[in-house]
Amino acid sequence: MKLTFDEATEQFRRELSDWLDDNVPDPATITEPSRSTAHIPAWAQEWQCKLFDAGWLVPGNPPEYGGRHASIIEQFVHHEEMGRRRITPSFNPQGLTIICPSILGFGTEEQKRRWALPILRGEMTAALGMSEPDAGSDLAGLRTRAVLDGDAFVINGQKVWTSGAHDADVILAFVRTDPDAPKHKGISCVLVPTDSAGLTRRPFGSIVGPEDRDFNEVFFDDVRVPVENLVGPLHEGWRVANGSLGHERAMLWLGFAEHLDDVLDRGAAALVEQGRSGDPLVLDWFGNSVIDATALRLLGFRTLAKTRKGTDATELQSILKLFGSEAEQAAALHMLEALGPYGLDHTRATSSPRPLDIKLFTASWWERYVHSFAGTIAGGTSQIQRNIIAERILGLPR
Amino acid sequence: LDFELTDDQLELQRVVHDVVARECTPATVRSALDGGDDADRLWKTFVELDRPSLTVSEADGGMGLGAVELVITLEELGWAADPTAFLATTSQYVPVVRACAPAEARRSLLQAVCAGSTGTVAFAADTVTARHAGDAWALDGNARFVLDADRADEVAVVATVDDGGVGVFVVPGAELTATRVPAFDGSLHVTHVDLAGLAVPTERAFTGPHVEAGVARARDEAVTGLATTMVGASQHILELVLDHVKQRHQFGVPIGSFQAVKHMAVDVFVAIQRARALCQFAALTIAEDDPRRTTAASMAKAAAGDCQRIAARHGIQLFGGLGFTWENDLQLYVRRAKAGELLLGTSAEHRAQVGRAALEVTR
Repeated sequence: MKLTFDEATEQFRRELSDWLDDNVPDPATITEPSRSTAHIPAWAQEWQCKLFDAGWLVPGNPPEYGGRHASIIEQFVHHEEMGRRRITPSFNPQGLTIICPSILGFGTEEQKRRWALPILRGEMTAALGMSEPDAGSDLAGLRTRAVLDGDAFVINGQKVWTSGAHDADVILAFVRTDPDAPKHKGISCVLVPTDSAGLTRRPFGSIVGPEDRDFNEVFFDDVRVPVENLVGPLHEGWRVANGSLGHERAMLWLGFAEHLDDVLDRGAAALVEQGRSGDPLVLDWFGNSVIDATALRLLGFRTLAKTRKGTDATELQSILKLFGSEAEQAAALHMLEALGPYGLDHTRATSSPRPLDIKLFTASWWERYVHSFAGTIAGGTSQIQRNIIAERILGLPR
Repeated sequence: LDFELTDDQLELQRVVHDVVARECTPATVRSALDGGDDADRLWKTFVELDRPSLTVSEADGGMGLGAVELVITLEELGWAADPTAFLATTSQYVPVVRACAPAEARRSLLQAVCAGSTGTVAFAADTVTARHAGDAWALDGNARFVLDADRADEVAVVATVDDGGVGVFVVPGAELTATRVPAFDGSLHVTHVDLAGLAVPTERAFTGPHVEAGVARARDEAVTGLATTMVGASQHILELVLDHVKQRHQFGVPIGSFQAVKHMAVDVFVAIQRARALCQFAALTIAEDDPRRTTAASMAKAAAGDCQRIAARHGIQLFGGLGFTWENDLQLYVRRAKAGELLLGTSAEHRAQVGRAALEVTR
């Protein structure tokens, strides 16, 4: 056990840090905000491209895909350093962290060139079509059908909670191609351009407010998609899904850690400003959240070390997701309630925006609190995580 | 940053677990409760296996290992609800002597530990004073809720010195009056110590500017050590509960198949993971003398407190009526976990300490 990274890793961090010092866009050039998780404003596209060209976009990738063959520890350091500065590499996070890895992991060379590359360069944005009205926690029960007709799939059905679909150029959709197979075995994964005929996207407001329109209902009405848009083998979409979610999960906890750190940083300032920082009840929950933040990182490091050694850490990710999302939620809730009437303030300003701040970091305390349910619901609810831990780690019967 | 136990540390964990699983069974703990001499025999076994000397430097005759190895050991002892003075000796007495005694005294006191003598610390700077009395020192006042002062060979009393500052005064247990408190965990020796003008020779009195800092450092280790035994006891509660809910059938199925039961077990499990990580982190900051050590120790104690609370509550609840009996061994570990919460600062006190430290940086 050691408290510090080795010198080579620190050297990697310094190199990144120096590069960021020189290249993070001038706040004066940042005018247009991103309106959804698939909308990249022009200035942000330039930024993402710059990261791509320098090999700092996805350091674990090979150079031709915006990386530098970085090790998992280096990828972690990259994530941590970006998070510490509260800057984001892409305003199309699911494109960068879920869809591209799926295409790079399961797609053909042609698919990598045609879809992954433009997504990585921010020239195209992508959305993930998984959940359906009747397939949420039971994702494998999805019913959107794709039938092979000559050289195309014909897709019918509906997706929902499709983040950013209305701004995306393409949707990576999970569809049922074999209705007679057991539910995990008849799913395939296809790239559906959003300008396809028969595709309707309907964005809807979230609990944050009617203007917060990131989620979509997506309707497929005889949508024809060329067969070469199939990602991975036919009927093996579940394997791609697990791979995609695996990518989503590996560093997911770090997102919770960053949200939590930000709540604590900006929360501490607000509590001091309101003269509430000496209140014993505040000290109690604040202390608890600081402890959560520390424990989350420690458990995260440990999981990362296992991943590095090639140990399957899938179940451990469930612990991090459960603990991290609930810790973030508790901190945001306490913060909102600790401020008394000041917590009512819903102007977008828990602080002035910094370059490349993700939207959440300038949100009101109300928004931060309600947004924390994204962590406890999306990507497997806390209840599903508890079932997974109980059955796969504690060995309790199904 | 490397937060995994090394192969040697994992081996240590396995060895200690095997020893306590064999030598410190529920029957051992119950016999200690009944006033039997099992605790003495168990202590001799630990000495034969060189366990008390774990963190004594090799130069002083010990194994020369660090705080991380200590918490690995103490978690296992907490798991077994160890009825000996191991916790007080290794996580309180040894750190105080190591940090405060001059070389010669340190060597002789720690060599005695390696040879099997026990020790404890009365952290009593608020209630005990030390004054010069001729060639010696005299201690006045009393110390409350001291571990093992009724049976330890040596008691290191932390007192306020009459000319300012803090001193450590090592008193043979036989020379002081210690009254055992009837604690709900009867296998733990909790005592009150009365020092009515007790004389301490100068060679056993450690004073000077380094002593206050030394005591503070030792206290970090004591807090972390106690926290870690609570994690161990909670772990044992979880293991018993898991066995129970897998075997116990109602409505024709094991009750462990019910989500209400699963989710309670998972919440205990996650609380243990959190607390264990923080205990090991605190140990690491102590071992590496990192400036975060005091806050890290508070985090460990607070998290261990959270962990015992949920483990005890869900543990008894999930056992149903069986958890309410004296016969069920669950109660041994519930008591040990809960008793730890009440000593060396409750979880609420440590949480507030962490909160204050974090908010002060901002202010």
